[in-house]
Amino acid sequence: MSDEKGKWRLKFNPLFHFRSIRTTMLVSFSALIVSGLLVFLLLSLNYTTDTVLNNSSSYTLQLIDQVNADIDSYISYMDNLSDMMVGSVDVRNYLFRYNSGENKEAITQRLLNTFKTLKDSREDIYNIGIISNNGEYLINDGTDSLNAYMDYHEMDWYQKALLSGKEAVISSSHVQNVVQNDYKWVVTLSRGLVNPVNNQIEGVFFVDLNYSSINDLCEKISLGSKGYIFVVEENGGIVYHPQQHLLYSGLKTERVDEVRNSKTNSFITDEGDNSKLYTISKSDRTHWTVVGVAYLEDLLGNRKETQLTYVLIAAALFVAAVLIAILLSSMITKPIKALVKSMKKVEQGQFENVTLQTVGHNEISALTNSFNIMTEEIHHLMIQNMEEQEQKRKSELMALQSQINPHFLYNTLDSIIWMAEGGKNREVVLMTSSLAKLLRQSISNEDEIVTIASEVEYTRSYLTIQKMRYQDRLEFSIDVDPDILDLKIVKLVLQPLVENAIYHGIKYKETKGMIWVTGRNLGSIIVIRVEDNGIGMTEEQLAHIFEKKTSRKSNGVGAGNVNKRLRLYYGPEYGLTYESQLNVGTTVTIRIPNSAWEEENEEEL
Amino acid sequence: MKKSYRKWLIIASSLLCLSLLLFLIYSIQTQKEKKVVHMVYIPKLIDETNDFWTALIEGANMAAKDYDIDLVIDGGSNETDYEDQNRRIQKAIDSKADVIAVSPISYTNSTEMVKKVKESGIKLIFVDSGVDEDVADALIATDNFAAGMKMGKFMQQSLNEDSQIAIVSHVKDASTAIDRERGLRAGIGPYEDQIVEVVYCDSNYQKAYRLTKELLEKYPDLDYIAGLNEYSAVGAARAVDEIQGGASQRVKVIGFDNSLEQIKFLEKGVFQAIVVQKSFNMGYLAVETALKVLKGEKVPPVIDSGSELITKDNMYTEQNQKLLFPFFDK
Repeated sequence: MSDEKGKWRLKFNPLFHFRSIRTTMLVSFSALIVSGLLVFLLLSLNYTTDTVLNNSSSYTLQLIDQVNADIDSYISYMDNLSDMMVGSVDVRNYLFRYNSGENKEAITQRLLNTFKTLKDSREDIYNIGIISNNGEYLINDGTDSLNAYMDYHEMDWYQKALLSGKEAVISSSHVQNVVQNDYKWVVTLSRGLVNPVNNQIEGVFFVDLNYSSINDLCEKISLGSKGYIFVVEENGGIVYHPQQHLLYSGLKTERVDEVRNSKTNSFITDEGDNSKLYTISKSDRTHWTVVGVAYLEDLLGNRKETQLTYVLIAAALFVAAVLIAILLSSMITKPIKALVKSMKKVEQGQFENVTLQTVGHNEISALTNSFNIMTEEIHHLMIQNMEEQEQKRKSELMALQSQINPHFLYNTLDSIIWMAEGGKNREVVLMTSSLAKLLRQSISNEDEIVTIASEVEYTRSYLTIQKMRYQDRLEFSIDVDPDILDLKIVKLVLQPLVENAIYHGIKYKETKGMIWVTGRNLGSIIVIRVEDNGIGMTEEQLAHIFEKKTSRKSNGVGAGNVNKRLRLYYGPEYGLTYESQLNVGTTVTIRIPNSAWEEENEEEL
Repeated sequence: MKKSYRKWLIIASSLLCLSLLLFLIYSIQTQKEKKVVHMVYIPKLIDETNDFWTALIEGANMAAKDYDIDLVIDGGSNETDYEDQNRRIQKAIDSKADVIAVSPISYTNSTEMVKKVKESGIKLIFVDSGVDEDVADALIATDNFAAGMKMGKFMQQSLNEDSQIAIVSHVKDASTAIDRERGLRAGIGPYEDQIVEVVYCDSNYQKAYRLTKELLEKYPDLDYIAGLNEYSAVGAARAVDEIQGGASQRVKVIGFDNSLEQIKFLEKGVFQAIVVQKSFNMGYLAVETALKVLKGEKVPPVIDSGSELITKDNMYTEQNQKLLFPFFDK
């Protein structure tokens, strides 16, 4: 019952109070391994992410630096053209009629040839031309005329060139509408031309770089499936952006200010799945900023696969580690479990086959060894103890047996003397022979077990003597089934009961007392009864009948002693039972197993 | 002994099962992610010379690239052939598209066909114009009433009680034509009664040109002509430029859309102003909205892609030149 309860409590203990060391070890190992693996996972994933980002960042930077360099080279080329034109005498003569001595046709032809050569050498030059405040102009092959409806004086690139002195001006991307019927997206480089007459800037040289060349340049750069490039000019205007429409109408926004304010050449935006890597390259030549925008999703596209690989490796490691933990823990706990099992046996008093085999020389085998030695020792001591107890009991009994109450002896002898003096020879002979029998039996037989016959005879001798002593105050009858006479019984159990009956029952009775001794075979048990019609006992006396009474004058073998010996010998279900009624009498019953019956039944079985 | 072996087996196998399960979930998820949306867009027509439709398709393609979807553009070459368009819609239904975007040619004759799209369980988006029944999941269009209103309000500034106004519209039962005219009438307010005639050119330059000439003959005192789409506006401008051209131009013209020819007429002063639709945005928004509808997000039934009134003075600002001159030409 208490064991059940213990199990129940252990089973439902709170977390981490496991039933066995093994589970505890397993759980703590697993927890350790899992946390270790997690740290490893996070670190490695982070490491991969960082590496990929760094690589991408530097790769993108290379790409957009290249774009910037390409743009710079266009611009430089156009700038060189402007140098040439600014210094050209023909330009001055054509626009400002500086040297009117020469034929205008010839000058025009030379300029047109120059324009043609330049345009032919570079496909990306869309327009090239010179134009003056007073309306003189020469554009491309000379057949193009000015847009009649739009005033070039108002145009941005023209005004800026006049204002900026001798420096070339680069426009943002715009639609060039200076030529009649022609609207083209271009980037214009314009430069003021000085009229040698008054040394004022009164004309402009311009060259239009086809915008599609910049468009193509930016478009062909691939930054993942969704990445793109955009170009911002110095004041924040957008030169190129693939989604310029969407920007202008507010459907999309671009981080132009962030790019312009950025101190580093790259930054990452935090937009969840749409996080982007911005890489920035500024040109000193054009003062344009080329920005590469790559989606982290693209860059880290294979991160998911890498993650999966890591997770799978981690899972495999985990399984392996748990298996090892199971192995290790059972290696440790197996001998402990065996030890516990053995201890349980010892607890229950079983000392056979509890010695355990030890393996190795660790703490547990030391413990097992100690356990083995200890159980052996305990076993040994217990056997020894039992033997000693047996010995003690025997000697005690012998001492008891050999003691015949001296008062009883004196009284008997006195009675014999009285009878001899009275000439009652026959009685003297009977009493003396009874006494002799009694004495012989008490000293002759050392065995603990005697026949019922012998026990009955001993009692009969005792009763005979007592009857003669008490004269007509005591009568007795002995009636024992003859078939049990040869059966064995523990020595000295019947006579003390009879003695008790006389001294505690009959002795205080006014009238004649009677004692009946009967022995009956009840099959599996034998019942011997001593019945008297003495004064009987109160219930209280009856309750304390087996307690030791030291003040007794009898030979000291009380009912308690008899009962104890019977139980010891035959088992707790046997022994004495008392029934008594005050002033009516007492009956004491000896119940012992029938050895003859047992043997018979065993044979039958 | 045997029992504990079994225990390990159970633990080990359950762990394996767990990792397998995780793997499975993961692969299913990636599978899901890989599913590409198949979208078909059927414009009224595909015409390389028409900036409006070219920019619209360009915008749609840009969004398709942005959102990684499979977009098929399928359109005819005639803006009035609704039967041809209906056949293309049927083809799109048969191709088991996830979503179909249509710019219906006819306000009435396209209705039955677009209903079929919905009946096939395919999401339907209207772009630029709708039909006479409310069947689409969303309509992405220039708010034509608002655009017409912009025209009307601009016109009103130079109108008086004696002004005569004519409208050259495009297709009689097209929703865009109806809404723009209504907007224009609302915009000019008190002068609405002075609209002397509305003619329909069936989106044909020649017819618009011819009709305008007839109008100019019929009403010599005409003060304002409004062209309600590119074809109407160009035809009208051509006729006015031819008959009254240059400094002697008496009649004012206001147009819609931004072809190169219209820009020249704007520079030249034939057009007082033009109202430009943001067709690139319209295309982009169409795809974006289609995706939202597919995802089950709530979208407003009508989405305005915007319009801009442009005059000669502001036509070369950074933003407006982008609207007027899309640079996908090569």
